[in-house]
Amino acid sequence: MFNRDFWSEIFMALKRNKLRTILTGFAISWGIFMLIILLSAGNGLKNGVTSNFADRITNTYTIWSSSTELPYKGHKAGRFIMMNNKDIQLLESLHQVEEVSPTMSKGGNLIFGEKSRTIGLEGIKPIYKNIHGINVLEGRFISENDMKTKSKVVVIDVDSKDELLRNTEETTLIGKTVFINGLSFTVVGVCKANMWGERGMGYAPYSTLQALYNDNDCYQIVFTTKGLDTKEDNEAFKTELKRKIAALHEFSPDDKRGVWIDSQMIDSLETMRIFNTINIFIWVIGIAMLISGVVGVSNIMRITVKERTNEIGIRKALGAKPSSILLSIVMESLVITTIFGYIGMVCGIGVTEIISSVMESAGGLSDGNGMSVFVDPTVDISIVISATLVLIISGVAAGFAPAWNSVKVKPIEAMNYR
Amino acid sequence: MIKLENINKTYFGAQPLHVLKGINLNVEEGELVSIMGASGSGKSTLLNIIGILDNYDEGDYYLAGKLVKNLSENQAAEFRNKLIGFIFQSFNLIPFKTALENVALPLFYQGVNRKKRNMMAMEYLERFGLKDWADHYPNELSGGQKQRVSIARALVTSPKIILADEPTGALDSKTSAEVMQILREVNATGITMVIVTHERGIANLTRKIVHLKDGLIESIEENDPDKMDFTKEIK
Repeated sequence: MFNRDFWSEIFMALKRNKLRTILTGFAISWGIFMLIILLSAGNGLKNGVTSNFADRITNTYTIWSSSTELPYKGHKAGRFIMMNNKDIQLLESLHQVEEVSPTMSKGGNLIFGEKSRTIGLEGIKPIYKNIHGINVLEGRFISENDMKTKSKVVVIDVDSKDELLRNTEETTLIGKTVFINGLSFTVVGVCKANMWGERGMGYAPYSTLQALYNDNDCYQIVFTTKGLDTKEDNEAFKTELKRKIAALHEFSPDDKRGVWIDSQMIDSLETMRIFNTINIFIWVIGIAMLISGVVGVSNIMRITVKERTNEIGIRKALGAKPSSILLSIVMESLVITTIFGYIGMVCGIGVTEIISSVMESAGGLSDGNGMSVFVDPTVDISIVISATLVLIISGVAAGFAPAWNSVKVKPIEAMNYR
Repeated sequence: MIKLENINKTYFGAQPLHVLKGINLNVEEGELVSIMGASGSGKSTLLNIIGILDNYDEGDYYLAGKLVKNLSENQAAEFRNKLIGFIFQSFNLIPFKTALENVALPLFYQGVNRKKRNMMAMEYLERFGLKDWADHYPNELSGGQKQRVSIARALVTSPKIILADEPTGALDSKTSAEVMQILREVNATGITMVIVTHERGIANLTRKIVHLKDGLIESIEENDPDKMDFTKEIK
């Protein structure tokens, strides 16, 4: 059926009305072109926003110590709940919890040679780097070994480093000794400001600070979870966790405060939901645009079929089966939509790739605080495949009604049609 | 070969039109029959029913021993393709195809491959003296040439029956005579032929003349065309 003759018949028919074919095809090209551009823009926005979290694990929870709001079991409201090793042990005993990263905060003075500045010193575990997306520029981050040996090492941010080295001959702090609140630390790494843009931060092993300050207080605990994939799972886990910590510190499980529990997983699921909605919206707009092209093709096919009524009648008299006529008209429409659709798709992808590479060389679009808002506005192969499917479906849909009409007409009526 | 029993046909328009009011007709294999009648007598409708280009309301029609009634479009297409060759007054050639492609078209629908198809089509064009015109489009051919192309197209599938609707209607008398001569020669090879005409001269060249009036057969006249000097008879 689909031999050389079949295709040559179709291409001959299209060639006979070149201008008409091109104008009709343009609507399809345009529709697909815009669909690709819109989808790329949507992707760019999504990539831009998610790239800010890219170095960060999304299945994380953060718990902060806080004051109670409700009186409970003889305790007055407003009591400050400071977490400690018991909370860490509780978390480590839960099967949903993967890694626990407690944080101890000690503010103070950072001194190197003649220079000094204030610094927020955080006692952390190595996993902190992944959870918070710490970007190490020079040297290394705190390691498991540092934890074990309670080494007096520190990683400071680039802002602190620049200030300490200003007007000195030194170019690096790695391996140098600095003093924080009078305690000496060896600098092992320099990192970028954290994702909140806080400046003047230093990171030392949790175990080291615990030993140095003889302090079990834990202001903040961050941990990662596993097996919690849906919002419902996470909400349930969060309620359960709050209840357990409340029991540990004897405050009301209904207390909105006491400790704050924040789930990045829930936030991230929410963010993804927003982008999925945007994506659906774009597809709806794109398809609606494409429909106008498809209506155009369908209209042209109707005119073509009308013009060819005589010819179709003759073909029927000579023994053409209805299926062969139906197929040839549907294929004609399919050929228009797919060829011009592909032209539109290739143009669209070409334009988005150019924009993407220009943006990359210009350093990307950002909001002025170093946060990207638009990154890599391109579409991937799955979208190309979906768009192809959309084209094929619309091509068949556009050709079917006119083809079916021409099949229904009796051959003698078709031949006598003027 | 063709057996019609009480064929009735009504066109349901704004005013229902009872075109055929009970036609009974037998055409044997190899016969050369003409159907004559004034316009509106139903002769073209009758031919269309015989050619399965149109359906009928009542009666039975047997073609080569098979009942042709309520056929699916696919079956009808198969009958037309294998058994019947059509020749029309207005030639009904496809304008954007060459003479050769037009003749080869019925073979395309039989699934014959391109090479064999073109070879066979060329054979038939050659038989009617059109070999040099094979690559010409219909609008580059004279009326007589066009009709010869359409005769070649009708014959290329070696049908059992040729149905001709006013085959000389659009031709001058000299060309008409030539075309009729060809049709008689075709008939002489054993192919059944039914010609619809309103010209007495054409009908006189057939062996059996069916006179149709107001949707009924008025009379069937036996005729001996060999007695006629057909070049004179036409017009």
